[in-house]
Amino acid sequence: MTHSLSPHHSSNLALCSSRVGLSFGRRAMVLGFASLSVCLLSLLLSLVTLSAASPHTLFQDGANAYRAADYARAAEAFRQSAAWQPAAGALQNLGNAEWQCRRTGAAILAWEQSLWLHPFNPAARQNLRFARKVAQLEAPELAWYEVISTWLPVDWWAWIAGASFWLAVGVATLPGILRRRKATWHQAVAAFCLMVFLLSVPAYIGVQTRSRLGFVLQHDTPLRLTPTLEAQAVTRLAAGEPARRIRTRGHYVLIRTNRTLGWVEEAQLGLICPEPN
Amino acid sequence: MSLMISQPKLQIPALTVATAAFDPPVVRPGEQSFLRVTFNALEDAIEWPTNLVGPPELELRPGAHGQMLKMTGTNFEPHSAFNTRARASSLGSFIVPEFVVRVDGKPVAVPSARLEVVSTPPASVPAVPQLALDLPVTNLFVGQAIRAQVVLPGLAGGIVQGLAYPQLSGQGFLVDVAVARQRVEAVHRGGTNVLSFIYETTLTPLTTGRLTVVAQGFMAGNRFSGPVVIAGQATIPGGPPQYTLLESEPVELNVRPLPREGELPGFTGAIGSFAVGPPQLSTNELRVGEPVRLTVTITNRGDGPLARIAPPPPPKTRDWQVFAAADFAPAQPVSPPPPPASPVSPPPQPAGFQGVLTFNYTLVALTEATTATPPIPFSCYDPRAGAYADLTIPPVSVTVSPGATPGDLGSLLQAGSVEAEPEKELVLSSLAASRGRPAASLVPPQQRAWFPLVQLAPGVAFLGIWAWDRRRRYLEAHPDVVLRRRARRALRRERRILQRAAQAADAPRFAAAAVSAMRVACAPHYPAEPRALVGGDVLPLLPAAERSGRAGEVVRRFFAVTDSALFGPTAANAAELLPLQPELEQVLEQLEARL
Repeated sequence: MTHSLSPHHSSNLALCSSRVGLSFGRRAMVLGFASLSVCLLSLLLSLVTLSAASPHTLFQDGANAYRAADYARAAEAFRQSAAWQPAAGALQNLGNAEWQCRRTGAAILAWEQSLWLHPFNPAARQNLRFARKVAQLEAPELAWYEVISTWLPVDWWAWIAGASFWLAVGVATLPGILRRRKATWHQAVAAFCLMVFLLSVPAYIGVQTRSRLGFVLQHDTPLRLTPTLEAQAVTRLAAGEPARRIRTRGHYVLIRTNRTLGWVEEAQLGLICPEPN
Repeated sequence: MSLMISQPKLQIPALTVATAAFDPPVVRPGEQSFLRVTFNALEDAIEWPTNLVGPPELELRPGAHGQMLKMTGTNFEPHSAFNTRARASSLGSFIVPEFVVRVDGKPVAVPSARLEVVSTPPASVPAVPQLALDLPVTNLFVGQAIRAQVVLPGLAGGIVQGLAYPQLSGQGFLVDVAVARQRVEAVHRGGTNVLSFIYETTLTPLTTGRLTVVAQGFMAGNRFSGPVVIAGQATIPGGPPQYTLLESEPVELNVRPLPREGELPGFTGAIGSFAVGPPQLSTNELRVGEPVRLTVTITNRGDGPLARIAPPPPPKTRDWQVFAAADFAPAQPVSPPPPPASPVSPPPQPAGFQGVLTFNYTLVALTEATTATPPIPFSCYDPRAGAYADLTIPPVSVTVSPGATPGDLGSLLQAGSVEAEPEKELVLSSLAASRGRPAASLVPPQQRAWFPLVQLAPGVAFLGIWAWDRRRRYLEAHPDVVLRRRARRALRRERRILQRAAQAADAPRFAAAAVSAMRVACAPHYPAEPRALVGGDVLPLLPAAERSGRAGEVVRRFFAVTDSALFGPTAANAAELLPLQPELEQVLEQLEARL
C-alpha cells in the first residue's frame, strides 16, 4: 500500500513549516548549504568560463568577427588564441586580421611566425608574398644554412640532430658493451645516423640564427645611431621591414637591417621568436 | 615654363599670426560649437597639439584641419585652419586659455577664446553653416564606387557661397577628383528646398572594415574654382571671402570583401550593374595577318558612377592574336542629366544609365580556318543581385581569306604555344579553417632550459652502461672479489641467525649457525665449499697468537660440539656454548676483517 501526498497536502505542509519557523540550528545549516551552493556554483561558473575561453573558442570568435568585418576584434581574439597556445592556423589568421587593420608589421610578423611553426603552410607564404609586393618590402636575407632550416618545422631539427647523434653513438658502442658481434647493419645504421646528424647541424645553427630575426612593427620607425631618445635618426624603417637583433641595451635593441645598423626601441621590433623566459 | 613663371608667388609672412574664436560664440547647453584657429602659415610647419586643454566642463574633440592658398594682391598666402569641436552641457562662460604652438620651430601664441553657454541665445547670433556629406549607401564592397556629394546649404534668400579645396578626409578609400563636378541646385532638406552648393565626386573603398569619411572645405564666397552649373536663381555674395574651414559630421562606411564564391572568369574588379553592347568589328571580311579593330561598349545600368573599369584581358587563342589592354582608350562617362528648370522642384533621380565606356581590341587572324572572333571573358559583381554577372563579349562572325603570311607569323604561333602561364595574381588568402597543430612555444627546443638535460640523458645512460661493463669485466678478472662479497653477505646472514638463536636460548641452532658462519667466512680463502671446512681450516686464518689462545679454544669447542652432534654416538651439550657468544663474535669479526 502506498501513500502519496496530494498538492493540497504538500502546500499545507509547506505552510505549516513556514508558520512554525526554522530553528536556529536548522537555519544555520540552511545558510551553510546556501553558501556552499554559491561557492560550488561560482566554481562551476569559473570552470565554464575557463573552458569557454579556450584557444579554440577564441579562434572561432576571431573567425566570426573577421567574417563580420570586425577586424580589430578578430585580431584581438586571434592574438589571444595564439598567445595561449601558438598554432600555425591561428597565427595565419592573426596576420590576415592585422593586415585588414592596416598593421603591416604585425601582419608580416604573424605570418612569419606561422611559417616558423609550419613551413608547409602555403597560405601564409602566399600572404607574405602578397603583403611584401603591396607594401614594397623585402624579405629577410637568409644564409644557406638558414634556408635549409626552413625546410622543416623549427622544432624538428633539434630532435633530429639529438636523436641521430645518440643513435649513432648507441649503435656504434652498444654491441661491444653488450658483447654482441658487430654486424654490418650496425655500422650502416651508425653511418647513416652520423650523416643525418652532420646534415642537420647546419639547419640547427640556422634555427638558432633565425630566431634573432624580427620585423619592424611601426611605420616610420627611426633607426637611431645610439640607444638614446635624443639620438640622431640614421633612417626611418617601414613597418614589416626585416631586421636581426644583435643585442639589447635598456629599452633599445641594436638591429641590423638588410642595409644598415642601428638602434630601435624594443617595442618597435617584433621578434619572430620571443625571448625564452 | 612660362606658365609656371606666370603663376603668382607663394609668400609666407615673416610674422605668423594666429586667430582663435568659437563659432558660434553663444550656444545652448549641449549644442556644438567650433573653436576655429587659423594661421597665415603652411600647415606642415605647424606643430598642432593632439588635444587642447580647456575647462573640464567643456568637452573638446579634434576636428578638421586644412590648408589653402588665398590671393593677397599679386601673391598667394598660406591659410591654415584647425577646428576643434566643443560642447558644454552646463550654462556658463568657458574660456580656452592662450596657448603656444610652434610654427617653423618658433613659438606662436594662440589667443584665448570664449564660449558662452546660455539657455536662450540672442537672435543676432548667426547659425553656423555646416557641410553635409551625402552617400547613397554605407554598406558596400571593396572597389564599389559610389557618388559622394558634399553639400554646402545656402542661406535664406538664395544666397549661395562657393567651397574651396573641398576634400574627403579619412583612410582606406580613393577619391577620384578627375570626375569631380560642382553645381548649385536646390536640395531638399528639412522639408524645404534649399539652394545649395554641391561638390560631387566618386569615392571608392580600397580596404575592408569600418571606414570613417569626413567632408571638409573652405567657405569661399564668390570664389569658385572650376566650372559651376547653377540651376535656379542663386545670389552670389560679394566682398572678400572669409575662408572658414567647414566640416561635416563623420559618416561610417561598412566595407565588406567581395565573395569568392561564384566568381566568373574575366573579373577585373568591376562592381555594379553593367551591360555589354554588341561588339562592333571594323570589317567582317579580313585576310590572314590583317589587323582588325573590335569595339566593345559597356553601359552602366546601375545607380553608382561609372568608375574606372579595367578592361578584360585579351584572350590567348591559337587562331587569333589579340593585343593587350595597353591599346585601350576608354571613353569619358556620359554627362549627368540636365538640371531641373525650377529651383523649387526636387532634384532629379539618376537616369537609367550613368555612362558608357568603350574598349577597343585589335585582333589579327592567324589562320583562314577561323570563322569568328574569340569570345572575351568578362564579368562583374552586381551588389543588388549579390552575385557575379557574366558579361562575356560574344564572338563576331568573320570571313577570313588567305593573305600574305606575315614574316613573324611562325614566331607568333610558336610564342603563343610556348608562352608561359601568366603569373597567378597574388591575393590575400582566406582564413585558415582550423588552428592547426599547437606548439608549446615559439621558442625552439634548443633554447629552452630543459633541452640540454634531455640531451644529456642518453649520455648519462651510455656512461652508466659503460661503467657497468667495466665493473663486470673487472669482476670477471677477479672472481675472488665476488666470492668475498658473497661470503660477507652469507656471514651477516648467519650472524643474524645465531643472534636470534642466542636470544631464544636455542643452543643447537646457535652452535650450528656459529659453525656455519665460521665456515662461510673462511671459504673464500681456500677457496672451497663452506660445508667442506672443518675447525682446522678456520684456525690458520686467526692471528697466530689467537690460534692457541681463547679464540682458538672457542673455535675448537664449537666445531667439537657440532661434530659430535652430527657424527658422535651421543650428542654433546650445546647449551654450554651459549655463554661463549661474546668470544664467538670476536672471532667472527676477526674473520670478517680478513674478507
